Amino acid sequence: MNALVALCHFCELHGPRTLFCTEAVHPPSPSPPQPGSAIPGDRDREADREGEGLTMRANSSATQRADMCEGCRSLPASHPGFVSVDSETGIRYLSHQHPRQPQLFSVVRQACVRSLSCEVCPGREGPIFFGDEQHGFVFSHTFFIKDSLARGFQRWYSIVVVAMDRIYLINSWPFLLRHLRQTIQSLQDTALKVFDNEQCVCPQRAVRMNSAFSPAVFPHQRSGNAARSLTSLTQHPNLWASLHSSFSWLLKACGSRLTEKLLEGAPTEDTLVLIERQTEQEEERSGWDGAEGGGSNPQPSQSESVQPKDFQFDDGRQEDLLGPKFKSLRHLRQVLGANDFRQLAWHVLMGNQVIWRGADPGLIQSAFNVLKALLPVGCVRAVLYSPHYEEAYRCNFLALTHVSSSEFSMLVDVLNVERGCVNPVSDDDILSLYHEFFLNVSFSWFVFLSGPTLLNKIEVALSNENLSVEVVSLCLLCLKEEWMNKVKVLFKFSKVDGRGKEDTQKVLALLGATGPGEEDNVRLLKFWMTGLSKLYKSHLMTAVRGGERTLSQ
Amino acid sequence: MPTLLQKLFSKRAVGNDNGNARDCSTAAEQCWASSEFDLAQIRLIVYQDCERRGRQVLFDSKAIHKLDASEPTADETKTPPNRSGACHIGSQASEKDKPPTYQYTRPASDVNMLGEMMFGSVSMSYKGSTLKIHHIRSPPQLMVSKVFSTRFGSSTSGSTNTLQDSFESMSQTFPSHTSSIAHSNPVDMPSRGHSEDGDSGIARSASLSSLLATPLPSPGSSFSSGCASSYQRRWLRSQATSLQHGPMPRWNTEEMFSLSDESCSSNPAMIRRKKIAISIIISLPEREEENHNFQEFFFSHFPLFESHMNKLKTAIERAMIVCRRIAESSQRVQVYLCRVMEALGEFRMTVWNLYMAPRISEPVWLSMISQSTERNLLCQRFLKEMSLLMDHGAKSQFLSALLTAVLTHHLAWVPTVMPSSLPPIKTACQKPASHTVDLLAKSHPYNPLWAQLGDLYGALGSPVRVCRTVVVGRRRELVQRVLYILSYFIRCSDLQEHVQPQGQMENPDNPTNPCSSQTTDPTPEKTFPPKPDPLKPTACVIEKALNPESVPGTFVEQNNDTLLTDTKSTNPSSSLESSTVRPECTEMGQECFGEDGDSVGGGLEHILANQSPLLHRVQFHIGSPRETENEGQAGGLSRAGCGRGLDRKLHQRLLTDIRRNESSDSALGDSDDEETSLQELYMATEQKEYELPLPSYQVESRASVNHFGRSLLGGYCPQYMPDFALHGISSDLGLKQCLMSDLEHTVLHPALDEPVAEALCIVADTDRLSVQVVTSQRRVCEGGRLGRDVMVSNLVYTLITSVLQLYALNIASDFCVMHLEDRLQELYFKSRSLAEYLRGQTRVHVKELGLALGIESSDIPLLAAVASTHSPYVAQILL
Repeated sequence: MNALVALCHFCELHGPRTLFCTEAVHPPSPSPPQPGSAIPGDRDREADREGEGLTMRANSSATQRADMCEGCRSLPASHPGFVSVDSETGIRYLSHQHPRQPQLFSVVRQACVRSLSCEVCPGREGPIFFGDEQHGFVFSHTFFIKDSLARGFQRWYSIVVVAMDRIYLINSWPFLLRHLRQTIQSLQDTALKVFDNEQCVCPQRAVRMNSAFSPAVFPHQRSGNAARSLTSLTQHPNLWASLHSSFSWLLKACGSRLTEKLLEGAPTEDTLVLIERQTEQEEERSGWDGAEGGGSNPQPSQSESVQPKDFQFDDGRQEDLLGPKFKSLRHLRQVLGANDFRQLAWHVLMGNQVIWRGADPGLIQSAFNVLKALLPVGCVRAVLYSPHYEEAYRCNFLALTHVSSSEFSMLVDVLNVERGCVNPVSDDDILSLYHEFFLNVSFSWFVFLSGPTLLNKIEVALSNENLSVEVVSLCLLCLKEEWMNKVKVLFKFSKVDGRGKEDTQKVLALLGATGPGEEDNVRLLKFWMTGLSKLYKSHLMTAVRGGERTLSQ
Repeated sequence: MPTLLQKLFSKRAVGNDNGNARDCSTAAEQCWASSEFDLAQIRLIVYQDCERRGRQVLFDSKAIHKLDASEPTADETKTPPNRSGACHIGSQASEKDKPPTYQYTRPASDVNMLGEMMFGSVSMSYKGSTLKIHHIRSPPQLMVSKVFSTRFGSSTSGSTNTLQDSFESMSQTFPSHTSSIAHSNPVDMPSRGHSEDGDSGIARSASLSSLLATPLPSPGSSFSSGCASSYQRRWLRSQATSLQHGPMPRWNTEEMFSLSDESCSSNPAMIRRKKIAISIIISLPEREEENHNFQEFFFSHFPLFESHMNKLKTAIERAMIVCRRIAESSQRVQVYLCRVMEALGEFRMTVWNLYMAPRISEPVWLSMISQSTERNLLCQRFLKEMSLLMDHGAKSQFLSALLTAVLTHHLAWVPTVMPSSLPPIKTACQKPASHTVDLLAKSHPYNPLWAQLGDLYGALGSPVRVCRTVVVGRRRELVQRVLYILSYFIRCSDLQEHVQPQGQMENPDNPTNPCSSQTTDPTPEKTFPPKPDPLKPTACVIEKALNPESVPGTFVEQNNDTLLTDTKSTNPSSSLESSTVRPECTEMGQECFGEDGDSVGGGLEHILANQSPLLHRVQFHIGSPRETENEGQAGGLSRAGCGRGLDRKLHQRLLTDIRRNESSDSALGDSDDEETSLQELYMATEQKEYELPLPSYQVESRASVNHFGRSLLGGYCPQYMPDFALHGISSDLGLKQCLMSDLEHTVLHPALDEPVAEALCIVADTDRLSVQVVTSQRRVCEGGRLGRDVMVSNLVYTLITSVLQLYALNIASDFCVMHLEDRLQELYFKSRSLAEYLRGQTRVHVKELGLALGIESSDIPLLAAVASTHSPYVAQILL
C-alpha cells in the first residue's frame, strides 16, 4: 500500500516522539504510459534515489543525548535500519527510527503529534482517522503499555498509518483495525508479563507509597525512570526486527487486500494467427531434424522456410533493398491507375493468385506489403523470389524472378526497372517509371460491375485525398474487422452448425452481404474463412458440444 | 416469464407492491443489511469553536423535538421511513405543507466530549477542511466529522444578529424565547490566512495536481496495450496519491464553511479564527454480525457517505445564511431548525436507501466474468430478455436509444473490447484479464474500489464525465427487464478480497504478532541459546565471523531454514498464495542472510559466503557506537567530493520543510526540538539496512461483497437513489424535484475524489418509451422536460438487430454474445479511425465520414465519447 506505518510514543520527558517507521519504496513505474508524461514529482523521486545512502540517525552530541532518552528511541544511532524486499513487485520496505525520505519526516512528525497530543479518543485507547490534504491522512490507534516504573504504571503509544489516499485509507479501516489490534495486543500482553514479573520482585506501589516524597529527589527519580525503552518493557531483544516484519507485512497485505479482475477484449484474429504461426515456426525449428515427409514439396523448402517469416514479421527488411518502392495502397493505386488497381485488389480479396514478375525484388516485396493489408493475416500466403511457378493452393502472392509459366490468375509484369539503382528513387520517379511498366492482364472472366462491398468502400477511402494514410489504414482495419466478424458468423452457421441454404441466405441478409455484389461478397467471405485462427475454429467446435449439453439439460 | 425475472431480482422486492417500508428493507437483506436500519441511528451535531467565545453546540439532532400537534410522534426519527411518502422530504413538498415547529432542548450530556473529539484538544491552524472518524466503544457508534474554517463576506461583518447569539439566549431562556437577544458585534481578527498560504505548499503543487487531474494523451496509435486507458487512469491515480511525492494538496483543499452569500474571492475575506464542525454520529447495531456488516459497508462506501455529508454541509450553510436575515429571534431559530432538520431528514433517507434498497442480485456482466461455468445459461437469459424488450419498444427504437445513451456515457465497456495483444491463456475467445493492470496494482498499489467507482460512472473519457442511469416505469417487470439488460452494458472490474483464513489470525506465528516467541516466555535469555542482541549487530557479526566455535549448532540449521523459506517466497508465481512461511524475524532477525550467495564450502566458509550483506556491514561497524560515528564522518570526508553537493541540497530541502511545518502548525510547536536538530540528523552514510525476509502468509481469496459493482446496480427501488449507477423507480416525480441539484452537487463534490467536468443522468421511461439525457450543464429544457432526447446511433441499431436476428435464427446464445462483443469492438475500431481523422481536421465533414468511414452523424456523439477514452484531444476538436 502506498502508505507508511510508524510507532509513536508520548515520552514523559520529551512529549510525542516517532520511535520507528516503516515505509514502502516503490520501484519506478513498470511502463509509464508515455515518455513525456513524467510528472514533476518524478524529479523528487530522482532526488530521493540520489540520496539513497542517506540515513536519519540520532546525533551523538551531548545535547542530542539529553533530548532523546531511551524511551524516545528505537534503534541506536549506529543501527542501519531494516529492509525487506518484495521480490515479486520490487517494493522495498525500509524501517528506521524516522522516515528516510525527508519530505515525509514532517508528515510523520505531524501525524505523531496529532495522534498523541491533539486528537481525542474516548477512553484514550482506540482507532481514529484524521487528516487533511496538506498533511496527509492518518489512521491512528493509541494504546497503553504497562511499565512498573512509569507514572500511572503505564506508557502511552500509538501506531499510525499515513497515506495520501484518503479514500483508500478509510476503505482499509476494518482491515487495519483488525491487524493493528493484534499487534498491539501482542505488545501489551508481553509487556504485562514483564510488568507482573517486575511487580513480584519489587512491588512499585509499595515502594512509592513508602518512599517519602522529597521535592529534591523527585525530578531526578522521574527522569531516571522515564528512560525505559519498549525493548526493555517487553523484554524482547529483537522487538524492532519483529515490528519491521509486522509493519512490512501490514503494508503489503493492505495493498493487496483487494484485487481487480479487469478484462480486456479478446485478441483479434490477426493477432491469434500471428501467434499461431510463430509457435509453429518455433516448433518447426526445434523439430527440424525430425523426419519430415517432404514428398509433396521437394524443392521449395528453401523458399517456404524463409518467406513466411520474412514476409510477416520482418517488414524492416525491405528497407535494405534499394530502388523504388510502393509506400501505401494509395501510392500503388496512383501508380497502377484506378482501373488496374481495382482489378488487382479484386483478385487479392477473392483469394486469387497474384503473380508479380520482375527483376526488382524490392519493388515487388513492397507491393506485396501494401497489398497484404487488404487481407486478414491468416489469408496471406506469399512466396517471394521463386524461380518457378508455385501452385495457387500454396500461395496467393507469388513473386517470380523468371517468366516460366502460363498458369496464373493475375499477372503483373514489372518491366524496365533498372536494377541496382544506387540513388533512392522518389515518388515521382516511380510514377514515371510506371509508364514504362507493362501490365499483362490475362484472365478469362473479368467482369465485375458491382464488386464486393468491401472493395467499393476501400476505394472510396483511397480516392479521398483528404484522408491521411493513417486514417485510410485505420479505415481499412475497421472494414477488415467488420468483415471478419461476418466471416465468423458464416463459419459458425455453415461449417459448425451445418445449416441449410435457406437459413444461410437469411444470415447473409442480416450480415449485409446480400444485394449488389452478393456473389462477390459470398466469395470473399468464403475465402476469408480460411484465414480464421485454429484456436477460434476449435473453440467454436467445442463450444457447440458444450452448448448442446446445456440445451439438453 | 415473471418467474425468471423474480429469480434475477430479489424475491421480496418483486413481491412488494404496496410500497411498505418493512418489506422493502427485507428485500435488501441479501446485500448488506441484516436488520432494520433505524433513521434515529443517525445523529447530527454542528459545533462551533471560536477563539473568543469557546465552543458552542449549534445543532444537535438529539436535542430537537418536533412540537407539531398534527404529528403525534414527538420525535419523527422514531417512525420507520415511509417509502411512499419519502419524496415529501424534498424541499418543494415541505414548502407546501406548514413547516413543523421544533423545540430545542438542552444538548445531551455527551456533547462536551464529542466536541473535544471533533476539534481535538489542541486547535490546528490549518485552514482547509479536516476529516475525522472516531469509533466510540460504548454505546457503539461511529462519528464522522468535518471541521471547516469559516469564511465571512463583508456584508455580514456589520450584521448584528448571529445565530450563536440566538442559541445562547435560547438555551438559556428556553422555553420562552421572547426575551431580547444580547447583540454583539463580532470583531474581525487580523487575517492570518492569505499570507500564510504562500509557503504552505499549496501553491507549489497546484500545477502538479492540475496536471494530474487532466488525463494525458494516450499512447499513440499502438494497439499493443489493450487496456491502455484503464491502465493510465490507474497509474495516474497511484502517482497522484503516492506518499513518495510527499503531501500534495489536490483540487479540493480550499473547502471552507461559508457564512455569507458572497463568494470570498470577490472581496477581501475576513477570516476569523473560528471553526465549524459537522458531525454525523451513527449508532452501530448491537449484534456483532450486524455491526460488522454495517461497518464493512460504511467504510467501503465511504466516498458516498462523504458526498452526502458535503451536501448536508451546504444545506447547513444555507440555513445559517438565510436565518441571519430574520430579525425576530424565535422565528430565526425556527427557520434554522426547520432547514437543518429537513436536510438531515434527506441525509438520513439517502443513507437508509443506500444501505437498504434492493439490488440486482445477478448483474449480467459481473456474473459472467465471475462464474464462467454458468456462462451459457446467463447468455440465454440475457438474450431472451433483450429480444423481449426489443419487441416491446420496436416502434420507438426504445432499446436502441437507451443503449446508444448507455454506451456513450457509461464508457467502461470500451477497455473490455480493446483487443489484447496477448494470447488467451485459458479457453480461446474468453476475454483475458489485463496483465499490465495486474502488474501495476502489485507494484504501485492504487485503490481498486476507486477504480471500480469510476468504471461504473463511466468516468473514463476526457474531460471526465460521470453518468447514472435511471429507468422509470410503472410496470415493475418491464423496468426490471431493462435493468437486467443494462447490467451487461454498464461494466466495471470485479473485485476479489484476500484475507487471512479463519483461525490464522489467532496463530501466534501470524506476522502481525510481533511478540510471537515472547508471549510464552518474556525472558528468553534463560531458555534460548545466547542470541545476539539486535541492538548490537556489529558485535555479534564479528563474533560469528571470527569465532566459528561460538556459533551454536542450531544456528546453522535455522539458517538453512531461512534460506529455504526465502527462496520459496521469492518465487514470483507463488507470491501471496505460497504456503505459510514462518516469520523468521522473531528469533533470528539479524541472522537472515538475504540471498543465497555461491557457497564456497562447508563450515565457516559456507556461513561467511552466505552472509555477504553482513560482512559488508562489518566494515562500517567496528568498535563502539561513538567510534562508528567517527568512522562515518571520516568516510564522509573521503567522499566529500561527491557528497557535499547532495548534502547541501538536502539540507535546503529540510529547512524549507521545517519552515513550512512551523508556519502551518504553530500550535504543535511545543516539542520541536526533534526538528531543529534535523539538519544534523541527516548524514550521508553508505550504510545498508539489515535485510529481513518479508513474511508471507496464507490468504483466502473470496469474491468481495462490499464493492460498488454489487452495491450500485440497484433494482426496482421505491424511491430515486442519487448514488446508484443504475436503478429503477416507478415515477419520475421525485426525479424532477431533485435531479438537477443532485447533478450540480455531483460536479461540486464528486464521490469519485477527482475533478468532474459534467454529471449526467440517463432517464429511460418505459411507460412513454422515451430516453433522455439530463446534464449538469444545461439547466433549461423546453416544455418542462428533464433533458434532451437521445438520437439513435445507426451503428448501435444495426448491432442490436443483428445480434437479435442471430438469436432468432437459433444460433447458440453464447455465440451471439461473442458476436455482440465483436460488434462492440467494431465500435472501438471506428472510434480510432474517427480520432485519427479528427487529428488533422479543423472542420468535420459529416458526409465524408459517412462515405469513407461508415460513420453517420447519429454515430458521432457515441464514437467521439469512445474516442475520448483513448485520444483525449478529440473532445477539444468536437467541442
